[in-house]
Amino acid sequence: MEMTEQFEKTARDIEERIRPQIDEAKKKVLDMNEQVIGYIKQNPGKCLLGAVAAGYIIGRIARR
Amino acid sequence: MASSETGAPNGQRAESASASASASAGASALTVGQRVDRASDNAQEAWSRTRDTVNDLKDRLDIEGRVERNPYGMVAAALGVGYVLGGGLFSPLTGRLVGFGVRMGLKLAAIPFLENELRGLTESMINGESDDSSSESQGGERKSHRKSTNKGR
Repeated sequence: MEMTEQFEKTARDIEERIRPQIDEAKKKVLDMNEQVIGYIKQNPGKCLLGAVAAGYIIGRIARR
Repeated sequence: MASSETGAPNGQRAESASASASASAGASALTVGQRVDRASDNAQEAWSRTRDTVNDLKDRLDIEGRVERNPYGMVAAALGVGYVLGGGLFSPLTGRLVGFGVRMGLKLAAIPFLENELRGLTESMINGESDDSSSESQGGERKSHRKSTNKGR
């Protein structure tokens, strides 16, 4: 019984310690996603041409 | 004398020759100018036509609108176009990717199917057992009923 309670307490402590980091990482990923989408929307031609070029290079490498 | 035979003096002949030469030169200069004008007109017409066609194509494809609506999808499509243009379509990497995708798709499609089949199988087994047990119990009752009737006789 005591062991179970201790285990639960430890798990809760770990969760409390990790939770802010996870939230921060999630926020960072969402911000980055927004930035990427904004950049693509602002420069569609550049992004599409870059993607075509990248795909071309990958295709050339894959063909070998 | 030849000049006296034709009836034209040497000076007049020279004048007429120079006049015809200048006229021909003027005509040739005019044609060159006309040609240049025509060429420039044609070039302008071709340029305007090309511009119109490009604008029409832009409006029809609506690339900016598509990027606005689905940015990642358009980038992925461009990547795919580049991959195909780079000759990666018939490569081992494509084969591996397609194989992986097909396997994943089959698995994802097969899991619900298998789940349904297993559920149906277990339900039928449970129902079969209950039917067997009920039939067995009914059979037992019938046997006991027969025994009791035989005893009565």
